[in-house]
Amino acid sequence: MRPRLLTLLVVIVFVAACSSSSSPAPSAGGSVAPASVAPAGSAEASGSPGASAAAGGDLSSISGTAVLSGWRSSPEEGEALTQTLLGFPPLYPNVQVDYQPIAGDYRTVMITKISSHEVPDLFYVNADYAPEWIEQGFLEPLDDYIAKAGIDTSQFFPGYLDIFKGKDGKIYGLPKDGNTIALAYASGLVSAAPKTMDELVTTAKGLKDNKDIKAPMCLNPGLDRGLAFIYAQGGSLLNADKTASAIETDASKAAVQWYLDLFKDGLAQTPAQLGAGWCGEALGTKKVAMIFEGGWLDPAMTGTYPDVKYAWAEMPVGSSGKPVTIAFTVSYSIGADSKNKDQATVLLSYLAGKDGMTKWTEGGVALPSRKDVPTPAGKDVLTKGSEYALPGSGFMPGYVDVQKAFQDAFTAQIQGKTFDAGPVVTATKAAIDNALTQ
Amino acid sequence: MAGTTPSTVTSGRRRDRWSEALAGYAMISVPMLLFLVLQIFTVFYAVYISLWKWNVRSGPVDFKGLGNYQTAFGDPIFQRAVQNSIYYAVIWVPLTMAIGLFLAIIVNQKIRGQTFFRGAYYFPAIASSAAITILWIFIVSPDGLFNSLRAVLPFDPLGTIFGYGPHKNWIGDQDTALNSVIILNAWTTSGTFMLFYLASLQSISGQVYEAAAIDGANAWQTFTKITFPLLRPGHFFVATVAVIGALQLFDQAAIAGGPGGDPNNALMTVVLYLYNAAFSQFNFGYAAAVGVILFVFIFGVTLIQRRIFGSAPSW
Repeated sequence: MRPRLLTLLVVIVFVAACSSSSSPAPSAGGSVAPASVAPAGSAEASGSPGASAAAGGDLSSISGTAVLSGWRSSPEEGEALTQTLLGFPPLYPNVQVDYQPIAGDYRTVMITKISSHEVPDLFYVNADYAPEWIEQGFLEPLDDYIAKAGIDTSQFFPGYLDIFKGKDGKIYGLPKDGNTIALAYASGLVSAAPKTMDELVTTAKGLKDNKDIKAPMCLNPGLDRGLAFIYAQGGSLLNADKTASAIETDASKAAVQWYLDLFKDGLAQTPAQLGAGWCGEALGTKKVAMIFEGGWLDPAMTGTYPDVKYAWAEMPVGSSGKPVTIAFTVSYSIGADSKNKDQATVLLSYLAGKDGMTKWTEGGVALPSRKDVPTPAGKDVLTKGSEYALPGSGFMPGYVDVQKAFQDAFTAQIQGKTFDAGPVVTATKAAIDNALTQ
Repeated sequence: MAGTTPSTVTSGRRRDRWSEALAGYAMISVPMLLFLVLQIFTVFYAVYISLWKWNVRSGPVDFKGLGNYQTAFGDPIFQRAVQNSIYYAVIWVPLTMAIGLFLAIIVNQKIRGQTFFRGAYYFPAIASSAAITILWIFIVSPDGLFNSLRAVLPFDPLGTIFGYGPHKNWIGDQDTALNSVIILNAWTTSGTFMLFYLASLQSISGQVYEAAAIDGANAWQTFTKITFPLLRPGHFFVATVAVIGALQLFDQAAIAGGPGGDPNNALMTVVLYLYNAAFSQFNFGYAAAVGVILFVFIFGVTLIQRRIFGSAPSW
């Protein structure tokens, strides 16, 4: 009798277990530390399914919920986004925003969501991988939605917007903000900010014997900062129409060598050499006097190293004679599998519009990607850079492999103390050629 | 009475046996189903994916056959990853087994605080690997604890014999990064191996040691001629588990070196390479191919180990 009861119990449990639907939990890959570049996060609103009839330009008729997702690189960013989202309901009371930020490795978690076709309605897409996501069909083309909602895209800085256009010319995301690279220097150690690269070298040489710091500058051994210096010194990764590599030209090679020589002459060290996680930490812990970062430095400094006095200066002008820097941006995009695209469009029109972006950039985390948004306080230098910045990522597919090839070879030169730009250029050219043929 | 039992009793017993068998099968059915789906089926599915250029949203795109495998074997970064993983396994496995065995013998003695020491040695194994790795990065950073100790000691072998500077960044330097991770993992995993060896040690009968003592064996002879050989089941198990784990090193490499295995691929392991292919390059067919290569490699190594160690004796 008892074995039969036992069997029955097991069968019941089995049936119950099989019929309960459990949505797969996204694996938060928290083991990967966030990259030193903390892009300004912007909240994306995703809409929940609801009846939505998007009449041309009339967004108030759309109702439902929009699920917004993105990363949150710091508590200040989360606070700024919350403030921004508060301005949405008065304008569009029919659409509710369900903000579901993703903790941990955003890219990995989003990939798992995309593969299971359960994507948020509006979410961040970093320029770093925007070309790949567009090409692989993860994102919804927004041209029709933009037209229906009457969003004016002419105010976006072209350098930002073009990154999110696919090969078919369609728009796959609207840049939610931007960030440019500029010079941040310790006010106590540097009296006059250098305006040219020659002045930068002179200032650094003057600081070389200063016992209070470990090195005059902190610089990343990769293209995430090096590209700005290469452009400044007249070099380039690609030719004008982005069809072939230009890193092996004499001008580019000389630029790479110039950047490498900063390390060779002891004027700069990498964060690893300084024992810091990133150059912001090196400045905050007073190991260096000058670093090159973007607007994300400000909340990090005020939050973690409030006693360190620093100031911003524009990227020094190099031998190219023109002011140039690089910019990083992130878009709001709608997924191809998003369930509430119309509701997402409503939220998109606010967050990427003048009002929403003004509120967001007031939070001090990022800079506007639109011309008509006023410059946030204290960000004049960085915003000025937006006018002449070239894209720092997202301008070619497979850029992550190019960056890795450059950084591996560059690090090897520093650690092997050979400081020869030749192998760096060779490795980078091979990676560019490979990426362009994919 | 011996002989025939009434037919009603026999058929009742048969029914009970049948119910018992059914209960047994029902109970293992759920775990077996999970095992088949999550472990066995996924291997075959991975092989299938590896034959295609795979889009994570829309599935198979282009049939590549063995193209992904050819690309993997031809990629110098993959070769470096394999080299790193093998180097790590060859150095770390014997090192950690030795430390684990040493600790097991220590805590097997009847000393005061035996339970405390067992817990203390095992603790790093249950702490978060991410937290411990970050702690380790601080310890071995240029101004970290390790370099500070070196500065204080009267004699610094690392500086005088090997020529390492006083502010060496042990984990940021391409020559010492992997060795730093080996030492980190030897410390954290030795506790787990200590437990395995402890279980084996305690299964050795005390009479053997008594007989050895009567014959006049000293401590070293007891260890080398009696304890160590009798631990063969323990060695086999620990070595197999260790090699399988070593070839799959990921956590510490990803945290210390980032997804790119910095500096300069010093910390690139096969699993990190796979992670990169999947989540940085979004090339899932290629990542699946790397996974299948790793699977075949570990499978082969385990079979070879079984050959060498033989099947574990059952005493």
